[in-house]
Amino acid sequence: MKDFHVKIGPFKKSDNSTRRTMVHLLIALSPIIVFAFYKNGIIPYQKGYSNFLEMFFPILFILLPTLTSFITELLYSIIFLKKKNDALKEYLSESFSIFPGLFLGLILPINTPISIVILGAFLATFVGKLLFGGFGNNIFNPALIGRLLVVSSYALVMSESGGYLNAYEIDTIASVTPLSNAVSGIGSYETLISPYGSLWDFFLGTIPGSLGETSSALCILGFIYLTITKVIKWKIPTTYILTVFMMTYMIGSINELGVWYPLFQVFSGGLMFGAIFMATDPVTSPTTPIGQILYGIGLGILTVIFRYLTPFPEGVLTSILTMNMLVFIIDKIGAKARFNFKQALLPFLIMWFLIIGIGGFIGNHYQNQEPNVDPDFNIISKEIRDNQTTYVVTQKGYSGILKASILFDKGVIASIDIISQNDSFFQKIEDNNYINKLIEDAQRLENIDAVSGATITSNALKQMVINTLNDYNRDMANEQNFSVLDHYIEGDNTIYEVSQKSFQGNLQLRIVFQDNIISSITVIKCEDSYFNLIINDDYIQKIITNQQKLDELDVVSGATISSNSLKQAITNTKKEYQKDYAK
Amino acid sequence: MIVGKKIEDGKELTKTKKLGFFTRPKYVYIPLICQSDRDITTIVKKGEYVYKGSIVGKRKGAYRLPIYSSVSGTVVDFVEKKHIDGSLVKCVVIENDFKEKLEEKQAVRKSINDYSKQEFIKRLQECGIVGMGGSGFPTYLKYNTSKKLRTLIVDAVECEPYITADVSLIKEKCEEILEAIDAIMEINGIKECFIGIKKDSKIIELLENYLGTYPKIKIAIVPNIYPMGWERYLVKYVKKTNYKLLPLEKGIVVNNISTIYAIYEALKYNKPIIERIVTFTGEMLKSPQNVYVKVGTSVRDVIEFIGGYKRNKDVVIIAGGPMMGKSIDDDDFVVTANLNCVVVMKEQKKEEVLNCFRCGKCVSICPSRLSPVLIKDSLKNIDNLKELRPEKCIECGLCSFVCPSKINIRGCVIEGKRKVFKERGDTK
Repeated sequence: MKDFHVKIGPFKKSDNSTRRTMVHLLIALSPIIVFAFYKNGIIPYQKGYSNFLEMFFPILFILLPTLTSFITELLYSIIFLKKKNDALKEYLSESFSIFPGLFLGLILPINTPISIVILGAFLATFVGKLLFGGFGNNIFNPALIGRLLVVSSYALVMSESGGYLNAYEIDTIASVTPLSNAVSGIGSYETLISPYGSLWDFFLGTIPGSLGETSSALCILGFIYLTITKVIKWKIPTTYILTVFMMTYMIGSINELGVWYPLFQVFSGGLMFGAIFMATDPVTSPTTPIGQILYGIGLGILTVIFRYLTPFPEGVLTSILTMNMLVFIIDKIGAKARFNFKQALLPFLIMWFLIIGIGGFIGNHYQNQEPNVDPDFNIISKEIRDNQTTYVVTQKGYSGILKASILFDKGVIASIDIISQNDSFFQKIEDNNYINKLIEDAQRLENIDAVSGATITSNALKQMVINTLNDYNRDMANEQNFSVLDHYIEGDNTIYEVSQKSFQGNLQLRIVFQDNIISSITVIKCEDSYFNLIINDDYIQKIITNQQKLDELDVVSGATISSNSLKQAITNTKKEYQKDYAK
Repeated sequence: MIVGKKIEDGKELTKTKKLGFFTRPKYVYIPLICQSDRDITTIVKKGEYVYKGSIVGKRKGAYRLPIYSSVSGTVVDFVEKKHIDGSLVKCVVIENDFKEKLEEKQAVRKSINDYSKQEFIKRLQECGIVGMGGSGFPTYLKYNTSKKLRTLIVDAVECEPYITADVSLIKEKCEEILEAIDAIMEINGIKECFIGIKKDSKIIELLENYLGTYPKIKIAIVPNIYPMGWERYLVKYVKKTNYKLLPLEKGIVVNNISTIYAIYEALKYNKPIIERIVTFTGEMLKSPQNVYVKVGTSVRDVIEFIGGYKRNKDVVIIAGGPMMGKSIDDDDFVVTANLNCVVVMKEQKKEEVLNCFRCGKCVSICPSRLSPVLIKDSLKNIDNLKELRPEKCIECGLCSFVCPSKINIRGCVIEGKRKVFKERGDTK
């Protein structure tokens, strides 16, 4: 009698295995890791910004969380799964144990303290993966869970430690990641691309950002490799990136920006890395082909919403976590649509309307907001912290671009630092102490004479400060800074007591309406030191006289901010009045 | 869209070998089973003499097909033997007297074109012609319709790895097969015929030598992917059309090429399916080859006859091809009309089955457009399960084939299929 064992067919198996999947993934990631080491380790070392040991920091930054994840899973499988010897080896080699930490190292800002990175890797594996039931059972991408947990607990520590810039970039670029410049407005080529070089730099990855995310070229290379080896669900990154491209192309063309604009959006903010390596995490993405397409489009729409309509530029990772929750429903649609495509028609229509609708809305929204500014002037970055606002701005000078960082403290310009300039006559400006004059006489810039021999440059500097002031004032006069304190009726008069944030504090006014027009304005409280200029100018009477065409009314020279605040207060109050007494 | 997989086919083991004959077994064991129906009325008694082609049993319910003796000799016993699905089945044991005696009525020969449609259908029914490609579906049902038949598609694809039974049949009986196709077309008023076949220059050349006489018969070369021989795919590829349940809806009949030859023998010699070609193959056989065997022969006898096993330990014997076949714990199972292949393979090292990581490969490969991974997840939720329609599974095994975690995902889908049938109160 022969010994035949009963086996379960089919008796031919493909050579697919989880181990093979992991190896391919590592091969695809290795050029990215090497590039991260080159850009953040070797370059700063060569340029003398770090010592020999610090050069290896990026490697450590990737290696330690990877190791942490591995050890966490090792301990877990020994203690809780009671695996031993061969079974243990087999389990670890096939359960993607190193990836949560590896990905975390690639997406966290490079200046995150290493202890936080290690904690994040532990949380990613333990909370993001093992608590859900281990390999294959997690709903959310483990690395993103780890990131979410450490970012929400240690946001302050992380932002104070320097963010995404490496030692070399901090010194030369003096700005944040490219995408954070796009938050305050639609931007222009000069504000979005020029500070970092050209679009080519975005493609190659020589821009600031986390270790893994900057090089779009290497991500695309990885994508091609992983698609050929059939490791990733290629439909997800393809539809994701195309959706973002389409929507930002729309937004860009409404605002008369060229094709560089959607390319900028696609090449920055870690979109490529997120779409290709994070969104395709097999465990947490849909399994059905139509589901994968819907998922990709959904990610694209969410990313655009996060980028434009919320203050968080890192829309990619948030979008992926959000869409992870919907995988179950998306797969349900996808499975039905396999038998009958009509089942997926409605979701696709909705997606299409969302793309067009949201793209059009954002495009027009920014178009209306875009103020008329000096075409030679650009705001590269604006950072607001408590009462301090730091601007990095550029202005076209005599023979090149002037770049400066301007610090506002409690409404006053505290310092102007020239970061770079190209003018040969600049020495004269410094000799003349011109910059200090600009700071001291910020309220009377018109009266400052140009430096003889460097007229164009000094005028450009002056213009730069004026432009920056205008932007600052616009922010100050923002509706958020306005509030109605009291509102009552006395006989024929409707009286508003309002408060408006102004130059050096709050401006409080009593405004009386009679027969739908303003009959008197009384200043209750004012902290601005230049306010006497307004009183002397009889500016308040001018406002009452010209109340229908406030826009045309010139400001009081020497008290620009105060007069603007005053005007803004009146405009805001008129709005309130119209709201209350529209009939 | 036709999705499939090119699978390393192992056909070279048997393709060029000469056809062997094993027609003189000492005993045959005729299984009393018709498709999956075991409710059979036994007609013969112990000690009774039976002729080759005598009826030994009949199905009780609908779609009645007779069961025949494949040798002449004496009924000596009734025993239980292994069936090709691994279960035990009652068999009539007939001791061969090696005389190959036929019943008198069967000796009558007739021109195969000389049939009316009714006679044709009756003859198929009487001779117990069933689909020989593996399904075992009664063939007469495909022709028994008032609908106008337009197209006959002959399935000579043999897409499953290792099997070369059809190829060797074409080599042996090319002329007869084409004659039979011509007769079937004439009797049923069918206008066109396509022989679906993979690109194999020798076989196509062979067919083309004879095709000049039959202008209505054309060769349709199909891609070399598994499961190209699936009826639905063949119809889709050759006629560019889909159907709901049966190809009959579009006036199409699909027959396996072995079935066509069985029809030839039924029409010409009134001979039921009592003999067929079976591929005996696999790297653990000393001499893999196609063998012409009698239905009811024990596979163990055939393997002994062709030289036996390379080794006795750690081998797996499979009834059917390596994709759809079943592993049996004993080589003493019997040849049936729809057994086309026996594979003997090395026992693979036990593979660690890992958690599913939802790579979606089973979804993109499924020819029935199912979502196996979601079916696996929904096994406990009958409402979700029904929406995923596991009953459409054709059990081709591609989902298990591609699975990187080596999960028996086909088993999950089949379980889902059973649950849905049970819910519907279906007996199948």
